[in-house]
Amino acid sequence: MGFGHCIGMCGPIVVSLSLNLKDKKFLIPHLLYNTGRVVTYSLLGGIMGASGSFTLVASHIAGIQKGAMIFAGILIIVMGLAMSGWITFGKVFGDSYNPGGFVSRGFQRLSKIKSTAAYFPIGLLLGLLPCGPVYTALLAAAGAGMKATDPAAAIVKGMGVMMCFGLGTLPALFLVAKLADMGWLKKREVIYRIGAVLMISVGVYFIFRGIRY
Amino acid sequence: MKQWIGTGGQQHFFSTTGVFKSAGLCLIMIGILIFGGGVVLNPAMAADTTIDCDAHKGICSQSSGDLTVSLEISPRPVKAMQDLVFKVSITGASPAKPPHIDLGMPAMKMGPNQVALKPTGPGTYEGTGVIVRCPSGKRTWFANVIVPEAGEVKFIFDVIY
Repeated sequence: MGFGHCIGMCGPIVVSLSLNLKDKKFLIPHLLYNTGRVVTYSLLGGIMGASGSFTLVASHIAGIQKGAMIFAGILIIVMGLAMSGWITFGKVFGDSYNPGGFVSRGFQRLSKIKSTAAYFPIGLLLGLLPCGPVYTALLAAAGAGMKATDPAAAIVKGMGVMMCFGLGTLPALFLVAKLADMGWLKKREVIYRIGAVLMISVGVYFIFRGIRY
Repeated sequence: MKQWIGTGGQQHFFSTTGVFKSAGLCLIMIGILIFGGGVVLNPAMAADTTIDCDAHKGICSQSSGDLTVSLEISPRPVKAMQDLVFKVSITGASPAKPPHIDLGMPAMKMGPNQVALKPTGPGTYEGTGVIVRCPSGKRTWFANVIVPEAGEVKFIFDVIY
């Protein structure tokens, strides 16, 4: 379900993460990223199942989703800038650049997301990105919860629906990750330069969409 | 023309033409997948997207053969992400089973979103559902009323986000 949709909506993020890995193997980081996403989906499914009301929960998480979209945009831009090598963050922030400061430290950490373990929390957070098929699956999770006989069963059913949905998105996103990870592509500096420009553009688009959402 | 291109301290020798060909190929592949994926893999994208129902104003009617279906969505104006009541009236057919509605977007596959309808009188049915919000900003949705053993009628309308 939604193979094309997954590629279209989450593809830019997956490509960014793949390019950011440079010479590292793609499998474990993407496995962690996708595990994070599926965990978030499952938790949301559990909440939907427990409440039995899609609209009630959706109205409460709308602000968080907006934030996740803007964060995704910032993350992609920072990765693109760091990958390009054109601008260092010292130059961006000028003389006032202070690696000890909260914002600077945050940007510095984002720009150095190369640790494999970091892909799990990124997945957890980006699992909150607003997306039509995710909403539809959440509707099904709320419906499954409503039909359950007791609250525990409602939570389990809701989680189950969303876990299955998350697992169903894996083939599409792994395909994109694999394509962006091809060794012969990643050895070309020019790919990184073009990729960085695309990533920055996509990041700006995500932020714009997040603000408008 | 050939030149040295370095990556992470390692030097590789490529022809400039080859590099640009590879870059072009890569961009085309990823571009097709990311930006064209929705179109290529979503046959619904090619569907007719002419809006034929102003759901914000009231009841819409459509016919298909002998079947005539009226659809009313409330509350109005019709907004996404809220509980909506779908009222359906059918003339020209007596369905053995209650009809149901498939909700979706002509421009994007959104997953199965069905509204179960219950009979409220002779030829009239009612059910509740939610039209979800598409982050792309596209607002055109369809409600396909499926009448078992009689056919289906599609309503295409705009919603408010």
